Amino acid sequence: MSTSATTRASSTVPSQAEVAIAEVTDAITPPVLPGAGGKRTRVRRHGPISPLRRVLIYVMLTVLTAIIFVPFFWMVSSSLKQNNEVFSIPVQWIPTEFVWQNYVDIWTRIPMLTYLKNSLFLSVTITILQVLTGSFAAYGFSKMHFKGRDVLFVAYIATIAVPWQAYMIPQYIMMQNAGLVNTHLSIILLQAFGAFGVFLMRQYYLTIPDELSEAARIDGLNEYAIWWRIILPLTKPALASLALLTFVSTWNDYMGPFIYLTSNDLWTVQLGLRSFVGQYDAEYALIMAGSVVSVIPIVLIFLLGQRYFIQGIATSGMKG
Amino acid sequence: MKRPILTISAIAAAAGLALTGCSGAGSAQQDEDGPVTLSVSVWNYDQTPEFKALFDAFEAEHPDITIEPVDILADDYSDKVTTMLAGGDKTDVLTMKNVTDYARYANRGQLVDVGDVVDDIGADKLAGIEPFALDDTYYAAPYRQDFWLLYYNKAIFDAAGIEHPDNLTWDEYADIAAKLTSGDGDSKVYGTYNHYWRSVVQSIAAAQTGGDLISGDYGFMQDQYDLTLDLQDKGYALDYGTAKTQQISYRTMFETGKAAMMPMGTWYIAGIAQSIETGATDVDWGVAQMPQLESGEETVTFGSPTAFAVNKNSTHQAAAKTFLEFAASEAGAKAIAAIGVVPAYQSDDVTAAFTALPTDDLSVKAFQEPKDVVLEMPVSEYSSDVSSILDEEHDLIMVGESDVDDAITKMQDRVKNDVLVD
Amino acid sequence: MAIAAPPQRTRSSSRVRRNALVGWSFILPNFIGFALLTLIPMCAAFVIAFMKWDSYSPPEWVGFANFARMMRDESFWIALGNTAYYAAGHIPLTILASLGLALLLNRKLRGLGFFRTAMFFPYITSLVAVAVVWNMLFNPTAGPINQFLELIGVADPPGWTTSSAWAMPAVIITSVWRDMGYYMVLYLAGLQAIPQEYYEAAEVDGANAWQRFWNITIPSLRPTTFFVLIMVTIASFKVFDLIVVMTGGGPGRSTLVLSQLIYREGITENRFGYSSAISLVLFVIVLVFTVVQFKLQQRKER
Repeated sequence: MSTSATTRASSTVPSQAEVAIAEVTDAITPPVLPGAGGKRTRVRRHGPISPLRRVLIYVMLTVLTAIIFVPFFWMVSSSLKQNNEVFSIPVQWIPTEFVWQNYVDIWTRIPMLTYLKNSLFLSVTITILQVLTGSFAAYGFSKMHFKGRDVLFVAYIATIAVPWQAYMIPQYIMMQNAGLVNTHLSIILLQAFGAFGVFLMRQYYLTIPDELSEAARIDGLNEYAIWWRIILPLTKPALASLALLTFVSTWNDYMGPFIYLTSNDLWTVQLGLRSFVGQYDAEYALIMAGSVVSVIPIVLIFLLGQRYFIQGIATSGMKG
Repeated sequence: MKRPILTISAIAAAAGLALTGCSGAGSAQQDEDGPVTLSVSVWNYDQTPEFKALFDAFEAEHPDITIEPVDILADDYSDKVTTMLAGGDKTDVLTMKNVTDYARYANRGQLVDVGDVVDDIGADKLAGIEPFALDDTYYAAPYRQDFWLLYYNKAIFDAAGIEHPDNLTWDEYADIAAKLTSGDGDSKVYGTYNHYWRSVVQSIAAAQTGGDLISGDYGFMQDQYDLTLDLQDKGYALDYGTAKTQQISYRTMFETGKAAMMPMGTWYIAGIAQSIETGATDVDWGVAQMPQLESGEETVTFGSPTAFAVNKNSTHQAAAKTFLEFAASEAGAKAIAAIGVVPAYQSDDVTAAFTALPTDDLSVKAFQEPKDVVLEMPVSEYSSDVSSILDEEHDLIMVGESDVDDAITKMQDRVKNDVLVD
Repeated sequence: MAIAAPPQRTRSSSRVRRNALVGWSFILPNFIGFALLTLIPMCAAFVIAFMKWDSYSPPEWVGFANFARMMRDESFWIALGNTAYYAAGHIPLTILASLGLALLLNRKLRGLGFFRTAMFFPYITSLVAVAVVWNMLFNPTAGPINQFLELIGVADPPGWTTSSAWAMPAVIITSVWRDMGYYMVLYLAGLQAIPQEYYEAAEVDGANAWQRFWNITIPSLRPTTFFVLIMVTIASFKVFDLIVVMTGGGPGRSTLVLSQLIYREGITENRFGYSSAISLVLFVIVLVFTVVQFKLQQRKER
């Protein structure tokens, strides 16, 4: 067995493993498509779409989007009203006077910049950790075979079912005893290790034929290298989805930071917005303004990151 | 296989870990001489000026004690304090947001006996002190006492040529509400606005008929429900369904002139003053007594006090008590009266300091006259459970799904069979 | 083609052990964090289900008393029924909607990026805004939904969130609207794993769109569908935030769900033993679902 495979570097000369993989992929076309084997050129999806069909799709999507956007429209509209006009009878969809001051107030009334920084820090850190540990563990659950693997997996998934309210107090007591309360570290630790990421990645890994990793094993690669060099690059869409969803969940999380972060300078955006909810009443216009500001980073990330959901196809990225 | 052992030890470790935090033993009480930092739990510190006013005034008088507020969001304040205490938190002073919470913490021995503080001030001077009595002593001192009044829009009354609502009965209240309702659609003005909290119907009924909300006998609520439903059915008050599902703000209804009258608590005085100051509204407002069952008798209304208590786990108990005494006494009362919050301590000086009130005779009379303020919800170990049941049935009555008598029967059954037996 | 395993050699025990070790080494980083921080408190909570504890005083062992109480508790049965009702509505509708959206948007058409982002908006919009606006839309007298229904001839339109009978359907509709963008993202990722060549070959073979969908897309999406199904099921049984903000469990108890009951009994009423018992029941229900799904999936994979 040659050792050249272990020194794979450039992509100009395909290694034995790569060749083997390509051959394998050719061979696994399902029986419903006889004669398909080997055709590998990157072809456009479904051929050219007829102009009529295209218009139809755009119209449908625009109508759908308009409906979907209604609450968001109300949110923006409310953010530009006086607090005592937000929940008026009847509903005012356009403010009578535009209170742009609200968008200034949320930065001055509460330390919004600090909160945004904190939210960003937590979301990014937790996302990176979740994606890494999740996809790492997912490999173990899908590509490795050992006794008790499936039982452990099912149990792992089932724990997602337990609502956090159930074990919130014992968890808090534990963190309190460890001296971690009122630190960002507590939030990071609590959220970075979860079954969700593992589950998502495992399902995606299952769509990658076992033969790929087998061929790489034959080539002499150890499991970690297989994961890093072969499997991981193939799963970009799933990684992108996981990263996005984790980011959004962390960004919007309220209860965790509420319970664990006491000092005001550690607070996140969600806590900051809730501070406008008083004992007997709430300043909804400001809350809505803050919510609008808080949504923008997520929209940006989604817009920029979504090409990874739609990008390149698993197997066609292999050769050349 | 190794697994069962692993599982068992995990569980044992879990149980052990989970329970190490809750010894709750009353720990060290030593106070050092010299500068002390007192932590005080508050809600929405930046948006609730009464805390800052109190703390500033206190620190001015006691320069060796610094107050460090522990800011907790108002929305879930009780939940967080419960969690913190479960973990053995050492925050020195705990603000008791309502009497139900107080009852819970006091009964579990989580608070320090502050009977001496109350005696120093004089229990007779503190409005709303009675619910805090437990085992012949007190575990918290009230600094604030809110009660319910009738807010009214002077402009609407004047325009309709109706006398300002001095000492109304409920029938008169309903009549006026009918007369002051005008317009429809976008420009409709309601004669009155009844907020969707159950206390608006149930607590006032209990206070004025002498009914007990914990007892499990709720026939006394019948009349008040009939009145309230009638107002809503006839269109003189905004319907409950809309108000609740769209989270209508009572401030909006009153400040935008959509309601001519509104029963509400005294905490709103500071709120409306602030709205006027910032120019958010220019409503010409006043307060009057809550409508009564019959005319010519002492005004009976309901309310609830807010208090400070000292955490058993605090390491600065003496300093904490000093703060409690300040807050509940005349000095503290004057500090918060100046910003429009109604203190528990009553004296002429304090009333003089309360500048947020409109200066017309009716408002002053309604605010100052001696009245019977009944607690919004009686203190008992069952309060919280009963409250949930009452909330649920209140919902069904007000959206029109249950007849009043059926709902009252159901309330009684549920409270008697599910709660009072435990 | 003998590319799979090394030919005709029984796996030695050392190989099995090495496999197990390596397998565990992959799982451990995630699992240790999870075990320490989540699993232990969870086990503690399950133990507490057999105790009486108010979070402060020492707990006392009460055996099955909490479960007996559960059987007698009308609120528990109502919450259980409501949760099942919600799940039965939410799960199929969300899966259909999100799959539909993913199929619709899985093209390289210009501007589709904007629409994909738009579909995701409901999920990131403030929950308060969502609840308020949908309540407005559902308003029985002034809301556009009922006005539209009356227009098309419905005589007595439902009371939606102001009526016990129709509150849950209203909540289900709102939550499907909110969640479909989230699961659409997962389906989009899953659709990427289907090689283009399959479709082309099928077209060459003369398969029409429906046949392509049924014979290629659906089977290839099986791992993703399994994932989405489990996650939607779990999320449905755990639903909390939307209910609390939109109806508070009302009117009355018509939208009271198990998570809400757990929270109320635990954090608000400080009956942690009882609330842990309810959590245990919820866990077992979902576990059964998950196992059944898993077994079905495994059978299909063979």
